[in-house]
Amino acid sequence: MSAEQIISQYPAEYKKIADALPGQSIAWLALLRQDSVQQFSAHGFPSLREEEWRYTNVSAIEKKLFSPASSSEIGAIEIDSLNQYLIQDAWSVVLVDGHFSASLSKLDGIPEIVTVMSMSAALEQCADLLEKYFSQSVDSKEHGFVAFNTAWFSDGLFIHVPAKQVLAKPIQILHVVTQAGFMANTRDIIALEESAEVTVVETFVGCDEAYCSAAIMEVSLAQNADLTLYKLQMEGEKAYHFGGIYVKQDRDSRFTHHNFAFGGLLARNDIHTDLGQASECDLNGLYLGVKRQHIDNHTRINHLQPHAISHELYKGVLNQRAKGVFQGRVLVAEQAQKTDSMMNNRNLLLSDDAEADTKPQLEIYADDVKCAHGVTVGQLDEQSIFYLQSRCVDKQTARNMLTFAFANEMVEKIKLPELHDMVLAQLLQRFPQAGIQQDWL
Amino acid sequence: MSSSAQEIENLIGHKYKEGFVTELEVDTFPPGLDEQVIAKLSAIKGEPEFMLEYRLKAFRHWQTMKEPNWAQLNIEPIDYQAISYYSAPKKDSDKPQSLDEIDPELLETYKKLGIPLDEQERLAGVAVDAVFDSVSVATTFKGKLKDAGVIFCPISEALQEYPELVRQYLGTVVPSGDNFFAALNAAVFTDGSFVYIPKGVRCPMELSTYFRINAANTGQFERTLIIADEGSHVSYLEGCTAPMRDENQLHAAVVELILMDDAEIKYSTVQNWYPGDENGVGGIYNFVTKRAECRGANSKVSWTQVETGSAITWKYPSCVLLGDNSVGEFYSVAVTNNMQQADTGTKMIHIGKNTRSTIISKGISAGRSQNTYRGLVKVGKGATNARNYTQCDSLLVGDQCGAHTFPYVEVKQPSAQVEHEATTSKISEDQLFFCQQRGISAEDAVSMIVNGFCKSVFKELPMEFAVEAQALLGLSLEGSVG
Repeated sequence: MSAEQIISQYPAEYKKIADALPGQSIAWLALLRQDSVQQFSAHGFPSLREEEWRYTNVSAIEKKLFSPASSSEIGAIEIDSLNQYLIQDAWSVVLVDGHFSASLSKLDGIPEIVTVMSMSAALEQCADLLEKYFSQSVDSKEHGFVAFNTAWFSDGLFIHVPAKQVLAKPIQILHVVTQAGFMANTRDIIALEESAEVTVVETFVGCDEAYCSAAIMEVSLAQNADLTLYKLQMEGEKAYHFGGIYVKQDRDSRFTHHNFAFGGLLARNDIHTDLGQASECDLNGLYLGVKRQHIDNHTRINHLQPHAISHELYKGVLNQRAKGVFQGRVLVAEQAQKTDSMMNNRNLLLSDDAEADTKPQLEIYADDVKCAHGVTVGQLDEQSIFYLQSRCVDKQTARNMLTFAFANEMVEKIKLPELHDMVLAQLLQRFPQAGIQQDWL
Repeated sequence: MSSSAQEIENLIGHKYKEGFVTELEVDTFPPGLDEQVIAKLSAIKGEPEFMLEYRLKAFRHWQTMKEPNWAQLNIEPIDYQAISYYSAPKKDSDKPQSLDEIDPELLETYKKLGIPLDEQERLAGVAVDAVFDSVSVATTFKGKLKDAGVIFCPISEALQEYPELVRQYLGTVVPSGDNFFAALNAAVFTDGSFVYIPKGVRCPMELSTYFRINAANTGQFERTLIIADEGSHVSYLEGCTAPMRDENQLHAAVVELILMDDAEIKYSTVQNWYPGDENGVGGIYNFVTKRAECRGANSKVSWTQVETGSAITWKYPSCVLLGDNSVGEFYSVAVTNNMQQADTGTKMIHIGKNTRSTIISKGISAGRSQNTYRGLVKVGKGATNARNYTQCDSLLVGDQCGAHTFPYVEVKQPSAQVEHEATTSKISEDQLFFCQQRGISAEDAVSMIVNGFCKSVFKELPMEFAVEAQALLGLSLEGSVG
């Protein structure tokens, strides 16, 4: 066996789909793909030896060898079966097994100057515009998943909002994987021009068998643009999920992210943002782990210019044998004076076998800054339980109430009522404690 | 007006005051390291056979290891063959029996350093073991300690007099293959202190060691081993200085603390190795492995460190909390100025039940220095009701320095409660203005604010050390505020 074969068997497997990938005729993309194939062949998926991956072992993805779904193999789905995941008052795009489905998507009434189309269509119709954004927020050198995705992404979505456009309704992107052993490998790009404003909801669902969903999203926010991005990850319980969101923020732009990680056997989120002058980012996250779930949240906030503000709050509830990981890094560059940054991670451990690993990091090269981070790992406060008991609430209900309140703080931040109810229902359904009473909700 | 300008000039031009070189006749090995050097070193020390084997085993393992590079440090490559591994003041074949027999130049050096070597002049109640380059020069108060049953002597002497005791404990907390520098130390350590406090004894005085690197092109590798038997108590202080030289010198020490049931060790360090000049030329590489193992129930270990010197500091005093109800504490002030780099912090490993740990770390960076806190709090499955509180604050003085915080928290026990807080800020204009408005000069105001910032750590230091630490802090930051 040669060294490459030992590192990964994926390049050989994916060679066969190389000719069917979108954007064949585009020179810059071909070059990018070629580089990424090389990068991936040399390094493979990240290993535990890499500092940014020390708590998350992805070797199972390597061993299982998930195969790509060609467009002819896409599973057939009825729109009715998806309704439970779709927000009615929104434009929606459905990606099935990594391919855009025109019949399931609902884009009528979207303003004409706004571009919302599949990545494969965009590569045919507006490749020049795409080039401005493609692989700009993240590089294949970042790690194996990015290289892999760049090399072999099958489709995705391109959203381009021209200057001063404010979309009335949110756009929902629904990722569905229908078959066992599949890998959905998608690339989304969201580009907002000056002062544009939009809300995007990303939802991930799939079948009950083992599959892999690897989605990378690049976001570009021009001056004063405003993006609110919700991510609701409800993959099947044997699924592997990698979701990378890489953001570049120009001056005065705002990025608000709400990340709900509920599903998957192994799930990893990367959220990286580069902050321009006086821009803002607000990262919120809730992860809920049961059984043997492993959920890793990896955030990086780069304060590159002065006066930017970042807020981050991630909460985790871990039960049974679940393992939650939080790695957050805030970097303040030399010229980024007057930075204001706050990061918080709170973990609730509910069982003897649950585990929380957390690694908040501050790396500061400027002096006139206000930066702080806080981390806690613990269990429910006995005094609070006692207080509720003294008010005639039985112990189990008291524990449920407190756990719910802990998690609900993140749900309450959702501004779309329909989505709020959906997330709340998911939360209750997946709630680690059995018999949760809902009459006090 | 002119006088105050002069004052500032003086302050900025402040030189490392311990930077003198003592002219002494010395025995120094030629640079280089191989098994023969280790054998020769072991022979000079008259060590028992097992030590030579221990050293050679460590050396062989060290040869297979690579220098760690994960720290946020920029280290000039070290040529381990260019270092001399033994340097000692020349003396008669016998060790000096009393202070009269010690080279007067050496006594003068210690006087300059303000070390109370002379029993008549020393501060009350401090017993000193002074290590000069590679050998221990004098240990004071031996008699009084012996009456209490306390063994406090150079480790080379302990190896001859109490070989079995040393053999039983040496390398049990920091194994010889623990890390690159610990392995190097195990192979070539020349001297250090050995302390044994017997059962139920409260050490009648504070023990103290001063380290000094004097000769050029030498490394200092000392080894400290402290064993606190059941119910005993000891407070141990350590201080270090070195002359100013343009080359970097390596200091790779290992400290092992062992605590039995109900024992308590308080270990304080004021580290003031030569930090190099303002352009980062010269200075000591301070790569130290310190670890305490609370083997017994209800034991308590407390690390207090004030790190002002060294070009590069790489040091993580750790506590392994094995015994139930054991307590680990870590109080640290790390000051970096000019081109200094510090990557320091602690590890708290909770294994026993009801173990508690506290980490208070204060980092101050000025000039173009980089100051990193790196720490690990790990709670194992069996550590029910473990408790940790961590607070890391960084103060930035000047706009070209860096302050970083890299904590790792790993919890496998739901009843554990772990808290970590970190802040980074600079001295606010408002605070400065308030002080100046009340007639306090800018320089004094900064010093006052910085001292306040560090107070929660300084109050953990023994009295005379606290005074020294405060003075050092002032000196280290001089010239950094305009």
